[in-house]
Amino acid sequence: MKQVLEGSHAVSEAVRLAKAQVISAYPITPQTHIVEAISAYCANGTMNSRFLCVESEHSAMAAVIGAASCGARTFTATSSHGLAYMHELLHWASAARLPIVMAEVNRALGPGWNIWLDQTDSLSQRDTGWIQLYCEDGQEVLDTTLLAFRLAESANLPVMVVLDAFFLSHTFEPVDVPRPEKVDRFLPPLSPRFQLDTANPYAINQMAAPDVYMEMRYNIQFAMDRVLGQYDLLEEEFAAIFDRKHGMAEAVRCEDADIVLVAAGTTASTCRQAIADLRSKGEKVGLLKLKMFRPFPTDLIRQNLARAQKVAVIDRNCSFGAGGIFAQEIKSALCNVDSPPGVFSYIAGLGGRDVTQDTLEEIYLQTKTSHTPARESIWIGLNRELVESWRN
Amino acid sequence: MKKMRAFAEQLPLYLPRSNSSTVGNKTGTWRYYRPFYDEKTAPCSAACPVGEDIPRIEMLAAQGLLRKAWETIMEENPFPSVCGRVCFHPCEASCNRGQLDEPIAIHCLERFLGDKAIRDEKPHELAPPSVTGLRVAIVGAGPAGLAAGYFLSRLGYECSIYEAQKEPGGILRWGIPVYRLPEDVLRKEIQRIQKQGIALHCDTPVNGKLLAEIAKSHDALFIGCGYGRSIAIKIPGEAYIHDGHRLLQSVRAGKSARFRGKAAVIGGGNTALDVARTLSRLGAIPVILYRRRKQDMPAFAPEVEMALKEGVELKELVAPIRIEAACDPSSVTESGYQVTLQKMKISAGEVRGRARAIPDGTKTEILTVEHVFRAVGAEPEAFWNMESGERSRQLSLSHCKILFRERPVVYGGDLTNEIKSVTDAIASGKQAAMALDIYFKKGRDHIESALQDHLVESGPALSMSAYLGRGRANRTSHLVSFDEINTDYFLSAPRIVPATLSAHKRSRSFMEIEATLSKNESIKEARRCFNCGICTECDYCRIFCPEVAVTVDKAKRFINLDYCKGCGICVTECPRNAMVMGEEKL
Repeated sequence: MKQVLEGSHAVSEAVRLAKAQVISAYPITPQTHIVEAISAYCANGTMNSRFLCVESEHSAMAAVIGAASCGARTFTATSSHGLAYMHELLHWASAARLPIVMAEVNRALGPGWNIWLDQTDSLSQRDTGWIQLYCEDGQEVLDTTLLAFRLAESANLPVMVVLDAFFLSHTFEPVDVPRPEKVDRFLPPLSPRFQLDTANPYAINQMAAPDVYMEMRYNIQFAMDRVLGQYDLLEEEFAAIFDRKHGMAEAVRCEDADIVLVAAGTTASTCRQAIADLRSKGEKVGLLKLKMFRPFPTDLIRQNLARAQKVAVIDRNCSFGAGGIFAQEIKSALCNVDSPPGVFSYIAGLGGRDVTQDTLEEIYLQTKTSHTPARESIWIGLNRELVESWRN
Repeated sequence: MKKMRAFAEQLPLYLPRSNSSTVGNKTGTWRYYRPFYDEKTAPCSAACPVGEDIPRIEMLAAQGLLRKAWETIMEENPFPSVCGRVCFHPCEASCNRGQLDEPIAIHCLERFLGDKAIRDEKPHELAPPSVTGLRVAIVGAGPAGLAAGYFLSRLGYECSIYEAQKEPGGILRWGIPVYRLPEDVLRKEIQRIQKQGIALHCDTPVNGKLLAEIAKSHDALFIGCGYGRSIAIKIPGEAYIHDGHRLLQSVRAGKSARFRGKAAVIGGGNTALDVARTLSRLGAIPVILYRRRKQDMPAFAPEVEMALKEGVELKELVAPIRIEAACDPSSVTESGYQVTLQKMKISAGEVRGRARAIPDGTKTEILTVEHVFRAVGAEPEAFWNMESGERSRQLSLSHCKILFRERPVVYGGDLTNEIKSVTDAIASGKQAAMALDIYFKKGRDHIESALQDHLVESGPALSMSAYLGRGRANRTSHLVSFDEINTDYFLSAPRIVPATLSAHKRSRSFMEIEATLSKNESIKEARRCFNCGICTECDYCRIFCPEVAVTVDKAKRFINLDYCKGCGICVTECPRNAMVMGEEKL
């Protein structure tokens, strides 16, 4: 049934439908609405689950690690500093092969203190062994969260469902909330492949010496590779029940495009309109929306970008001293392709600054008119006056 | 779906996992600091004049072990029902819970447990004494004398009490109005003490001759005759003033007088309040005349508030300087008195902890009343003035004074107590009993040091339970502060308010004002208690120990040092500071 839902609550509804058994979280803007609704469901009996209140995100992750180790379906949510605080345990969760699902709302890290959209928080957890899925709208958030449980439990890897602060987390949209029976068909109860059990005691996660450690790590990489190979099958199954599919990445009018914009999250929505307008003016432009960041769908990206002349990557993040993080990944995906397209890296909309159609048209024009990128990363929409004020 | 399932089944997992036991991993070797179970002193216990083990009483009550809770009171105080009513409960003022929300209603619990024991009519089952064969004579069956008898008989002494009045109880029987202490409650608690084998001789005023006779047949004497004579005011017109004490006494003796019109009550202590409130119940309109301000009154503040609600007037900063019969026919219609009041003001400095009041120039005021009562304090009958013999033959303690004559004579109760309260009188009886026991068993020189060993915190309250070497002997004198309570374990919950007669109803009758709590109310209230410093077997230490190193044997907890790695989680978790981290004791 279609409901007008806040982006945050699209996550909450999915977690309710997924019947997560243990939820632990610590509030942080702009994530709080997600767990607020879930805690109410736990308290009023809508969900037959335990909500564990903890004193920090580090403990929230520790709590779901414990619960998942005992075979429970688990969920947590966080944002920005909360995610950074979890960092140590993010590695633990993946290496312990626990199918934890987490919603992560992209928010800037301080200082200067800022609660608005910025992708640096999740992207700097790139190497923690978590599957990362970026969402564009409320429906995709709900669908991806449901799918994330299946994915996590199949691969025995944790999954992060990422959504933009405010532009998505706090925006109300019509969202189709499926009936529980339908969800149950897609997502049966978790049957854990291992679990701590006092009736059958054993210890897990103890020391692994050099003779076995590397194989354990290869095992994770192996699983990630498998996820890339099987994700389509999972989505097909999802589509058979719910009639929707989002893809690891989505190519919009890339077939004949000379220039392809690359973006993730709600920015992709703005890009859809921008390329439609540019196309109507005769410009041969396309969009590649990135959804899956880890594992990185290199083949799919190559297929959709290799024939373009230029690629313009829009990063709402920055790896200082290098540049846009998505752009780095796109460059490395294309570097072994014959005559690869030129990759232009644009940094825009940090800390919640708007990325409008004008911004995107400026990016398109700059890409079209430059033979090669003026710099490794081009910052778009900077207030020149402010920059001059401290530069001189 | 088939394909996806296959994916899950195919996916190989390679994880560190071991089926061997971790018992061989003796994590205790990592330890350089360790936890100890360490019971401490709760502030309420230390504030209680008789040092009742309040955290334990509340714990037992919360567990529904009401009889044990009552016996725990009886270890330290034979008057739970009386004290639950008349004690001004300094315990509650010091209650740590007051810093979270509101103090525990300790006095309500005490009263409930006492009343329940009266109803049950079962004697306590505290360990019986070993008989000493020694005899102690007690003069005065007030709270001090009765307490001395109770504790001495529990220590194995044969006691005889001599009482001038026709019934025992002293101030409890003849001074405190029944709306605060019903007669039946008092009688039952005294009967229980008597049944311990104490010989009580009423209607037996002790004079010099009798005293000499008693002394011959006893090994020690305890004098707790109280303050029988009220202090005069010494102003012109003194003869018109009635004695407040005597009014209270005659009402308690069953003589019901009726009063009309205004009645002045001179004084600001609890007796003044009792007199004024009694007069109000007898039909008068009482006016309390006090030389300082309301906030300086030595009377218990809640009593003052209740009195004011009952219609008692309070005139502050006035001192009567003259009383004359009102003979001016134009100013009064009936016979009465004119009280000339000197207006007072507060000046800098203090007198014995209270504000200094001095005359405000020559300002005076005349108050016309029908009756004048005084309640400015009392003193012992002249006969009982303590001898001030040589220093070497006497010992002054916090709640009594011992004269070493042919046989020891202990003075106690109001005669020696700085604070003249019922509970301090009981404390005096207890101190006397312990002091005499030490005297007979170890000798005179050990009295002070041996008492010192059984103080609650730094005293002056003494613990009979500790003296008898029971569980309480293990408590340290560390006073648990609010900061040391792990308040994560305590949700805010309001203090119980017992049902109370309306001011209108109580100003017209001698019915008891407050109701006793029900069993459910009492248990609920007891559950609010932090139980500062004592182990309630809540087991959080055991639940949170990451090494499962806390073991329980016969309801006692032990740290298994083979596995305790000294992380301190148990101590941090302990809700009530009954544990401590410390160096290894080698």
